[in-house]
Amino acid sequence: MLDRREFVKLAAGLSAAFGVGSLPEPVAAALKKIDPAAIPRLLYLQGQSCTGCSISLLQAESPSPLTMITDYSQLAFHTDLSATSGRQSIELIEKFISGQAGPYILALEGAIPYAMPEACVIGRTPLADYLKQAAATMTAAVAIGSCACDGGIPGAEGNLTGAVGLREFFARNKIDKTVVSIRGCSVHPDWVWHTIVHLVKIGLPELTEAGSPSRFFARSIHETCSRYHDFQQEIFAEKLGDKGCLFKLGCLGPQTLADCASRWWNGGQTYCIDTNAPCIGCASPLFARAKNMPFYRTNRLG
Amino acid sequence: MKIDLGPVTRLEGHLNVETTISNNVVEDARCVGDMFRGFEIILRGRDPLDAQQITQRICGVCPYAHAIASSYAQESAYHLKVPANGRILHNLIQGANHLYDYLLHFYQLSALDFVDITAVLHYKGADHDLVKVKEWVKAEMASGKPYPAAPFLPRLSGRYVDDAEVNIGALKHYLEAMELQKKANRASAIFGGKFPHATAIFPGGCTQNAEIDLIVSYQSLIVEVRDFIHRKYIPDLVAVAGAFPEYWEIGRSKGDFMSFGLLPLEPGPDSRRLFAPGILADGKVAPVDFSAITEEVKYARYSSPSGLHIRDGELVPEPGKASAYSWVKAPRYNGRMVEVGAAARVLVDYHQGNNEQVKKLVDHFAGVANITPDMLNSVLGRHLSRAICAAVIADFVLAECERIEPGKPCGAEIMIPAGGEGYGATEASRGALLHYIRLQDHKIEKYECVVPTTWNCSPRDDKGNPGALESALIGTRVENPEEQIESVRIVHSFDPCLACAVH
Repeated sequence: MLDRREFVKLAAGLSAAFGVGSLPEPVAAALKKIDPAAIPRLLYLQGQSCTGCSISLLQAESPSPLTMITDYSQLAFHTDLSATSGRQSIELIEKFISGQAGPYILALEGAIPYAMPEACVIGRTPLADYLKQAAATMTAAVAIGSCACDGGIPGAEGNLTGAVGLREFFARNKIDKTVVSIRGCSVHPDWVWHTIVHLVKIGLPELTEAGSPSRFFARSIHETCSRYHDFQQEIFAEKLGDKGCLFKLGCLGPQTLADCASRWWNGGQTYCIDTNAPCIGCASPLFARAKNMPFYRTNRLG
Repeated sequence: MKIDLGPVTRLEGHLNVETTISNNVVEDARCVGDMFRGFEIILRGRDPLDAQQITQRICGVCPYAHAIASSYAQESAYHLKVPANGRILHNLIQGANHLYDYLLHFYQLSALDFVDITAVLHYKGADHDLVKVKEWVKAEMASGKPYPAAPFLPRLSGRYVDDAEVNIGALKHYLEAMELQKKANRASAIFGGKFPHATAIFPGGCTQNAEIDLIVSYQSLIVEVRDFIHRKYIPDLVAVAGAFPEYWEIGRSKGDFMSFGLLPLEPGPDSRRLFAPGILADGKVAPVDFSAITEEVKYARYSSPSGLHIRDGELVPEPGKASAYSWVKAPRYNGRMVEVGAAARVLVDYHQGNNEQVKKLVDHFAGVANITPDMLNSVLGRHLSRAICAAVIADFVLAECERIEPGKPCGAEIMIPAGGEGYGATEASRGALLHYIRLQDHKIEKYECVVPTTWNCSPRDDKGNPGALESALIGTRVENPEEQIESVRIVHSFDPCLACAVH
């Protein structure tokens, strides 16, 4: 055990080694107090969504949702939280999108009905129209959740609206804009809030090939799985409810890039595999896409 | 004068309400569901066990209700024998989900309709959170940037609570509720795997086992939530009711009331429930018959036939349909309009004398507020009904914990038959939820959902009769026709979920 004198000495040594002066300039700047006036506001719109990602954002632990809303994201509008409503809120949205309310980050939750614009309307304006306008004025765009990234379930096989994610939507409209894609159905709150912290304090985070922050999406769930040992020892769950590696039941951990297995969910309480539930690949670009790719391998009668 | 209330915020999804105002009275109201995805078509041809996963994505606010309804439907189609622990874990997950939803609805979605957030600027106390909010609002107002103190300002004009103590208390509890809803969700995630969108819920139970340490964790979280319900949520609601007694009369819907019953007391399919099912019409409760439900689409954007029964449901979108104004279908029970939701759940149970605690609470609060039970059909009545549900459910899930037998099975072995069909009915926090599944060649041949807000935010039916929310809005006196805070309060009292309504 260190006594106080040793501790102070060690701390002094550490701060010399990692002194603010030796940090790269943007990181050093980020450690200084942020000026709220200089932060782009967050304009949060919903497409063909279930609001599950928004609800997940309210499950954040540190920073708390309130701190994120007031201090970091400078949330200008969100359907579920805004006191404003109706025409007032349309004015607010249009003021940002027309570039008259200063810099802003566009967040989109939900897919865009590319083949049927009437299938998602805000007030009287199709979401698609707002997005095309926003592309010219926004500082950055964050696609929140599997629907906004790749179409998700609204874009699954057999869908009637031609639902696509934001990257695809911009590509089809020949709009060249970087979209930070945060997959997950729903997203983990840390993935979004921590990315927003990075965006406002440092800038664009390092992205994977699929456009997702490497910090959270560089490795597969299988690689960091709490049951990796069971996999190596070939201790497999044979039926639902069994412990052990869930691979034989259809677990999609090996194909799914996300850090659920080390981050855990709901304040670190648990996550799917910890409850013996196979990963269904909700953070994969192919989530729920094909009808002939069932989530589970189970028994059939007859 | 025609005024759009949309997009109405502080609810789930894309709702517009087209109103016609004359002499400061809402002469007509049309509920417009502005988003469509087509889940029932996406489900066709898929593996049946995908259903409790896919249908949760109908709604991320009440996903567990969909998982449970789908599980019930599949249990029926597979003739599954559900172990006692399996049903109890379903109940624990669903019950905790209701508790979070009531807190979220009262504080985050509704409180700003009544409570004056600017009162914090005059706060003199030393509470850390309130001081932080006060300093933040002050700095925002002084910043000169557009829309300072968003998302809490701007707000609609109107009268707000003027008692400083009530405002400050409710504001403090708004902040606390943000923490408490997380605890309720952590509790359900213990057995559900995560929230939102649980992966551990299956027909017949859960993949998680009922280990004693997990049960105790669940209990401790729910005890905290229950404490908040009794010490803060209910007193805040009573205070708001005291400041706005006219809302016991405002927002009365003009139809029957229906509940599918919530939280089975035994594992079997026909078990009695904590809240009894039934349809309440003309003061009498009758059993619910799913074959009496039809969905009419004269005013909804579909070209498929109108008036189909659930098991014959069809879905062909027609975005440009001339007569239509909404993506929401118009479900009717024997051709009649009904309201579903917390008030329906409480009234249907109360009139049957099913649950002693429900009866006691209704009578108690009716006495406190000097109202009759039928005045639960109102803005404040719907809010009160949610609080009553919260109190009853919190006690029930804690008692359920004691009935778990650790070590016994928590799920059933699922063998999917080639054919079969089943209905699954439960109560989401927003009201009566019905799933129907039919199998062919081990796949989903047909899947239909009739969801609470489909009833409440339905457009006109084929005969031109309005839906529940439309009927509650028509005739309302509004101070400022451009903004209509009165109408917005009525809309919020139904806790609409448009993603659910259209799906």
